[in-house]
Amino acid sequence: MRISDYIEQSFSNLLKKKLRTFLTTFGVVIGIGALVSMFSFGKGVQKNVTDNFKKMGLFNYIAVYPASGRSRNKHAEFDPDDRQTQIQNEQFPDSAKSPILDVNFLQEVREIKGVELAFPEIRFPALIKFREKEQFSLVQVMSAEVCKSELMKLRAGKAYESDDENSLIINDSLLRRTDIKEFEGLVGEQIEISTLALDSELLNPMNIMSIMQGEKLPFSQESYNFTIVGVAERMGMGGPMPLRSDVYIPPGPSEDMKKISLTSIRDFFQPAEKLKGYSAITIRVSSIKYIDLIKEQMENRGLRTFALIDQLKEIKTAFIFMDMFLAAVAMIAITVATLGIINTMVMSILERYREIGIMKAVGASDKDVKKIFFFESGMIGFLGGIFGLALGWVVSILINQVANYFLAKQGVPYVDYFSFPWWLCLGAVVFSVLVSLAAGVYPALRAARVDPVVALRHD
Amino acid sequence: MDSAGFVETEDLTKVYSSGKIHIVALKDVNLSLEEGKFLGVTGPSGSGKSTLMNLLGGLDTPSSGSIRVQGKFISELNKEDLALYRRYQVGMIFQTFNIISSYTALENVGFPLLFAGVPKKERNRQAGEMLTKVGLYPRKDHRPAELSGGEQQRVAIARALVNQPKILLADEPTGNLDTSTSGQIVQTLSELNKKQGLTIIMISHEQSLLAEFADDVICLRDGEVVDKEEIR
Repeated sequence: MRISDYIEQSFSNLLKKKLRTFLTTFGVVIGIGALVSMFSFGKGVQKNVTDNFKKMGLFNYIAVYPASGRSRNKHAEFDPDDRQTQIQNEQFPDSAKSPILDVNFLQEVREIKGVELAFPEIRFPALIKFREKEQFSLVQVMSAEVCKSELMKLRAGKAYESDDENSLIINDSLLRRTDIKEFEGLVGEQIEISTLALDSELLNPMNIMSIMQGEKLPFSQESYNFTIVGVAERMGMGGPMPLRSDVYIPPGPSEDMKKISLTSIRDFFQPAEKLKGYSAITIRVSSIKYIDLIKEQMENRGLRTFALIDQLKEIKTAFIFMDMFLAAVAMIAITVATLGIINTMVMSILERYREIGIMKAVGASDKDVKKIFFFESGMIGFLGGIFGLALGWVVSILINQVANYFLAKQGVPYVDYFSFPWWLCLGAVVFSVLVSLAAGVYPALRAARVDPVVALRHD
Repeated sequence: MDSAGFVETEDLTKVYSSGKIHIVALKDVNLSLEEGKFLGVTGPSGSGKSTLMNLLGGLDTPSSGSIRVQGKFISELNKEDLALYRRYQVGMIFQTFNIISSYTALENVGFPLLFAGVPKKERNRQAGEMLTKVGLYPRKDHRPAELSGGEQQRVAIARALVNQPKILLADEPTGNLDTSTSGQIVQTLSELNKKQGLTIIMISHEQSLLAEFADDVICLRDGEVVDKEEIR
């Protein structure tokens, strides 16, 4: 038999039982539709995350932290799996030799080949007052150089010109929390930042009793005035980002401010004036290829590092698990559809029992009979795959629209949650055909086994 | 070719087994048919006529003994070769016509060509020619339900002959037809036998038809040949 004849035969046979073919195919359509939308959702999320990370250049960053104290070493010993830390600790048992993350170190880092930008991470909590509203928030110290770079996306105004002016950039996120919708008019407005700092004078034994009773906490509050020069766009993603605070101020005025460091408990209990160096430094490299080299240099000096690119592998593993979970859900629908195909094909054999006998009587081989039924189930799979793909696509568009409609109300920018790479479209149809062919194995074998003598006597 | 052994059987035996029960459907049947002959087979129900037909038609395999057609032992063929034998060497017609109800007359006649890998256009041409031979071309687009019993059997004959086999096996082809139509059908078969030299083996209960058209008649009883009559 010719291939074209198999296709024509199977198509005309399926058309003879339109309703049954429709219902069976519809089962496959739902199964494949579910699989396609689940997979495209998984891929869409994956694409969004990695694309966003790439777009923001997040894989180009290394965060450098000061050497850990003894407490960290002890902690590492409890974790037998953390071999990397153990080796590191064995190699650098004396963290005292490692450099302090200060201005000089920063300058040194900036001269390393591949380093595009290096800036300290100084963040502290503060009470922000403006337009008669108060908001407890995070203030980040950021040099004018960084603010003027493409890292800072401004919705209004501009970045401060120098590191010494009393200006600040306010983030969209804070405006949203304080329910301020228009941001154009904000530029030029005054803003007050009140900081809290641990007051070492208040920590003397005379005051201990009242501190313990909570009457007089060992904090002092100071207020500073700034002028808003720009409104920054909110960053969509989390992670070790350089810019994720509500307010950015230049380093000049920050030096005189009394503040609590947020990144280390040890720093917290140190009087502000005794703090040595920054709690972290962020380095941006011009290319990902420098990451390992610079990380190694930093670690060789006893510093701790963190680069998001190292997490990429883990993120990818997490995505594989997510894909597997989504696929498992869709597979339930596929399994049901497969049973539907088997049922339909077996029914078809029983109905066409005599016809199979005739086929054999006029010269069809067992192989011919097998192929005829294979093509029929394959045809169900093919149609189911095509229409299932279409269904999955339509469903994903609907869900995308609905999700974006509701998320837009919460200020989340429009995101395509579904992705349809070509291999998914092709794979869905191929998978559908393969599953249907697998479902057709038993019916086809059964049809081929039909005894023509019995079948021709059959009524 | 030696025409004496065109269709030969030697100690042909068929036993159907179901658990411990064994039914002997055919027992040591020895036949020898020359090419171009018309053999009639008669006998009461359950005498093994259809079993003989199925064995000769390659639809079933013997329990013991052999079948030789045109010098080839078809009782030793594997399934694939047996399918080829059915496709090209023999044509079969049945009491119940066994044509496919959802196909038109033309599609039914062209059906065996499908398995021979003949393209659709050529299938339709050859099927049309066969329908013309049996006088049914004008009804080529009709489905079996729209045809009379006689016409359906003609479609079956056309289908059996579309691959130009040398042998036609007819299993009570007139069993479902009235007397006059039966006469016409057997007349058609006889013409094919006479004009085209088609070897025909036909089962029939109707002694008169066999007496009129068959060259030889054998009678089966309980799976054995009990009477062999050479009419001509």
